[in-house]
Amino acid sequence: MPDFLRKFIGLLLLFATVGIAACQAMLVSCSSSLPAISSILTQ
Amino acid sequence: MGRLFLMTSLGLLVLVALVLLIKRRFSLMAERYQGAPARFPTTKGLMLFVLPLPVLFAAIGALGRGNLSNLFDNAVCYGLFLWGALLLRRGLRTEADYTRRQVAKAPWPLKTLGSGVIALATALTAWSSAQYSLPIAVVFGGLALLGCYLSYGFDPRGAKRFTDRDGVDTTDRVIEALTQAEDSIAAIERATRDIRNAEFNSRLRRIVAQARQILAMLEEDPRDLRRARKFLNVYLDGAKQVTEGYAKTHGRVTAPELEDNFRRVLTTIEEVFTEQQQKLLETDVTDLDVQIEVLSTQLKREGVI
Repeated sequence: MPDFLRKFIGLLLLFATVGIAACQAMLVSCSSSLPAISSILTQ
Repeated sequence: MGRLFLMTSLGLLVLVALVLLIKRRFSLMAERYQGAPARFPTTKGLMLFVLPLPVLFAAIGALGRGNLSNLFDNAVCYGLFLWGALLLRRGLRTEADYTRRQVAKAPWPLKTLGSGVIALATALTAWSSAQYSLPIAVVFGGLALLGCYLSYGFDPRGAKRFTDRDGVDTTDRVIEALTQAEDSIAAIERATRDIRNAEFNSRLRRIVAQARQILAMLEEDPRDLRRARKFLNVYLDGAKQVTEGYAKTHGRVTAPELEDNFRRVLTTIEEVFTEQQQKLLETDVTDLDVQIEVLSTQLKREGVI
């Protein structure tokens, strides 16, 4: 496999796994805080 | 949801392609403008410090909400990501040193360890913070490990050994001599920072540059080590001691004689280092001459010339 392609696939995998897991963790954290924020706003 | 994933994947694909293109463009520009290749590419491995940043934001969010367990999960995951990235970067640096040297011991498997820690952090983040199921989290970890391997590779195994003309393995001796010389150069550089004199600083910078060039020549061909023994044991060590002594003393005592003596010593050191460098180059030329002579004699004997 050419070096460039190997690195491209490697970077893609890292973006896909680390990036998605980290963003999903942030989304879960934000979504659990949304009801609290909305309840504060409605009050 | 499916559409969102498709869009995210497409975005990631474009982002990765852009990053690779920019890196390629930068390295081409650097090659054009740089005389000697850099010792270690400074940006390599930095991406793994940036990618897990959302986990840090999640931890901050959890702190804001006062959710202790969520805060703990995210903080541990982010800590693991950071530790893995640091190990990987240190591994890349030791690998660059290993590649540069002709004689070297096999480095510690820091890159492999770092990749393992990053894979563990990814799996843990996917399972505990992102709330994926355990098998999916394991798949995340495995793919992250594969990604690290494909992007950065694993550590080189096996020492680059060196045997002298008598067939004796002198790897340890060569590595020890080169490490000591590097330590001496680093000590001269440290002492230079304490000397507040522009002339001496520039002279010392030149001396350090010369010493590094000589060391690079010795690293390229450790057979020269025997010829450069005096340079390593006497001159370099002496230069280190004198510079350290002057750096300590000149702040407390103002003596013009001391400055003159130090200037004279630095001039001598510069001359000796230039002489040493010339000697090593001449040896290379002599070796090449002998090789050419041997080859031409052989060709004459076989009737080719």
